[in-house]
Amino acid sequence: MADDTLRQTPEVIEAVRRLPADTYNQRAFRIKRALDLSLKHRILPTEQWTKFEEDVRYLKPYLEEVEREMKEKADWNAR
Amino acid sequence: MTGPLRKSHPLFRILNGSLVDLPAPSNLSVWWNFGSLLSLCLIVQLITGIFLAMHYTADISLAFSSVSHICRDVNYGWLLRNIHANSASFFFICLYCHIGRGIYYGSYVNQETWNIGVILFLITMVTAFVGYVLPWGQMSFWAATVITNLLSAVPYIGEMLVQWVWGGFSVDNATLTRFFTFHFLFPFIIAALSIIHLLFLHQTGSNNPTGLDSNYDKAPFHVYFSTKDLVGFLVLLAGILTLALLAPTALNDPENFIPANPLVTPTHIQPEWYFLFAYAILRSIPNKLGGVIALLAAVLVWFLVPILHTSWNQASTFRPLSQVTFWILAATFIILTWIGSQPVEEPYIIIGQVASVLYFSIFVFLFPGIAVIENKLLLRY
Repeated sequence: MADDTLRQTPEVIEAVRRLPADTYNQRAFRIKRALDLSLKHRILPTEQWTKFEEDVRYLKPYLEEVEREMKEKADWNAR
Repeated sequence: MTGPLRKSHPLFRILNGSLVDLPAPSNLSVWWNFGSLLSLCLIVQLITGIFLAMHYTADISLAFSSVSHICRDVNYGWLLRNIHANSASFFFICLYCHIGRGIYYGSYVNQETWNIGVILFLITMVTAFVGYVLPWGQMSFWAATVITNLLSAVPYIGEMLVQWVWGGFSVDNATLTRFFTFHFLFPFIIAALSIIHLLFLHQTGSNNPTGLDSNYDKAPFHVYFSTKDLVGFLVLLAGILTLALLAPTALNDPENFIPANPLVTPTHIQPEWYFLFAYAILRSIPNKLGGVIALLAAVLVWFLVPILHTSWNQASTFRPLSQVTFWILAATFIILTWIGSQPVEEPYIIIGQVASVLYFSIFVFLFPGIAVIENKLLLRY
């Protein structure tokens, strides 16, 4: 999924930490599978590809929450 | 019970943390071999260089013939000289592959590691440049004359600066002796900076070909990557020996078989192949100071790469437009290398100028701009 590929910025790391356990575990599985396929120089069979409608931005709400909190902290620290 | 010696001994613990129990991403590809290959190149250059230094004389009346003496009289001197000269080319092949890997896979987000890497490249360029002067052939002398004269483009203090570097009023004995000193000293600075480069790398851990978080699947450095690196070492050594033994003059400039003569200027002064891209950029600007600034900028622009990274992904693995841009950069680099070897005539002038503009545009505009487009297309940001 698209959110699996996000660069490890402090916001993304904190958002991932806040994921519910099952979402986190599914993310971990997909990334581990990707690393395993990468080392074997293979790709997934077509039938296992994520369909466009299944590609949910699962991290987006948590990411937006973290960004809001960090911005608020920065605004308070600027005073 | 203190555990294994490699984990408890104060010195072995450091080596263990870098070479044995270091957690490495399981999917590192061949593009991750070039770091260790660079270490091997440095060690080869240090060993062959020290033995060459035992027989070389840094004096303008003796330098050229001391190199002949090494090749003809010193036991295996011919082999030492051939390996040293050709390993310099392999050093730069490994450098460009290592840097290319860093750009393609976004490894530069580890900014300290990347910035030290750029400094290492600059020092390696200087080391190779001063080293090429030492045989005191025609191309040694005239390449030194051309490049050191560029310092005179610096406003106000330019002439004074050049004469300070020369140790006189032209490239002469004082220049040769100090270039030998620098060529001997700088590799040790490179070795020390390489250790600091690794220190920063090991703070974050290595990147990997997917650009994803590799903490989900790590493998210990030994035995997986120690073995992989050993295979790389064997391939590199085979390449070095093939060139040194079967085609030792393939990358030579024939002018360097002629002793340096300040009264005779070669028709086509050009540096070794690994500097040609920068030479082409230098010559593409008709103004002397402008050319010098462009020459410096050709490498210093790499400091901007982490700052201009706009993609939400680290690597180009899932970004086809950025992949195309990268290969356009590689092609531009090859074109600039070709142009640097050609005379300053049409159509090479216009090709060099277009390629120079494209080179800088890729770093400053194309990589960041295309990443923004990909953020919208692929991630729907």
